[in-house]
Amino acid sequence: MAGLQDIRRRIRSVKNTQQVTKAMKMISAVKLRKSQERLVALRPYAGKMMEVVRRVVGRIKGDSEIQPGPAAQAFLSPREEKRIRLVVVASDKGLCGGFNANVLKAASAFASECQAEIVHVDVVGKRAAEWAKKRKLVPAGEYLNIPLTGFQQVVTEISKGAAAQYHAGEIDALYVIYNYFNSAVAQTPTVFKVFPMDLDRRAEGRDAVEVSHLLEPDPNAVLETLLPRFVETELLRNLLESSASEHGARMAAMDKASNNAGEMIAKLTLTMNKIRQASITNQIIEIVSGANA
Amino acid sequence: MSQSIKLEVVTPERPVFSAEVAEVQFPTASRGYYGILPGHTPVMTEVGDGLLYYIQEGQKHWITVFGGFAEIGPDHVTILARESETMDTLDLERAEASRQRALKLLKDAQTEHDMAAAQAKLNASLIRLQAAGHPAGHGF
Repeated sequence: MAGLQDIRRRIRSVKNTQQVTKAMKMISAVKLRKSQERLVALRPYAGKMMEVVRRVVGRIKGDSEIQPGPAAQAFLSPREEKRIRLVVVASDKGLCGGFNANVLKAASAFASECQAEIVHVDVVGKRAAEWAKKRKLVPAGEYLNIPLTGFQQVVTEISKGAAAQYHAGEIDALYVIYNYFNSAVAQTPTVFKVFPMDLDRRAEGRDAVEVSHLLEPDPNAVLETLLPRFVETELLRNLLESSASEHGARMAAMDKASNNAGEMIAKLTLTMNKIRQASITNQIIEIVSGANA
Repeated sequence: MSQSIKLEVVTPERPVFSAEVAEVQFPTASRGYYGILPGHTPVMTEVGDGLLYYIQEGQKHWITVFGGFAEIGPDHVTILARESETMDTLDLERAEASRQRALKLLKDAQTEHDMAAAQAKLNASLIRLQAAGHPAGHGF
């Protein structure tokens, strides 16, 4: 009889867990929708911005008349990458499948392979902070528990800081490692170089003709506002990608957990019924044999 | 040379407009308006606050734009605006309410900073009203 009691208790506990995972799945679905809406809205803008900056930077590079100001320097007069700043974007909470593990694995691989010295690490999310601690990298910037509305501020801080550091010769490049949002159930850890810009992928279609852009009214003034805006847009996109990925991953993980809990309940219920049936059969046999005697 | 220009207007919130048009004119940040016909030389410039128009099949259409950048090529104009609305998405009631609020703020403004903020708000609402052909917009 003790077996029956135990199984009943276990079923109850699994049911409770299932309720929690179901609730978490619902919450993630709502949060996913919010992040995804913003991401999907921003992507075309970011894409166009990238296209435009690529075209402009590709053509005016090496133009002696352009005297880049502090913010535009990073794009127009790249140096050898000896010291870099790295932004690692993960989540604050766990229970989201391979989301953190994947992006942090990519970050570890990047850190050990990269030739340059990582002089400045920014971490977004508690999991990224723990990762940095484990790798003995002291994060210079820690952004924990940032709500969706706080992204803009983080982005501004990082982009301003990075531009100033480049200008002061402290860093030569800015990298971001984050989860790219493919769909609600698929994320790809991605290493993205914000500046200096890789121009290899530039030669596409209508760009074949090399014409110089006129920058009006003043080339330096335009670049000085355009390029920081580009850095901010890209960083914001990266944060949103990561946020949407996180909620997508958590939703998928919680869906799986709820299903597993359901299966477990079914199995336990079957065992419980078997034991109950066995005990009833036993009792009947006892009564029958008692009556016979 | 192509006979039309591909006009694209995007904001961080959403893609606003994308189509082939015959002519575009938009406000710049510092030097009046920029008019573009097919085959324009490549230019990159800053966009100001105001009304953009494009001509499509002989018809003039208006779009509001607020700040940002424009990239112009022989066959395309890409506007990366901070904010922008086509006539379909423009909320006239909100613009009118915003104008009333701005006027009140302008009256109550204490510091120069408040004054500038209220003025900017008033300008934005007037641009929107003007776009919709509202009488208040034409005093602008």
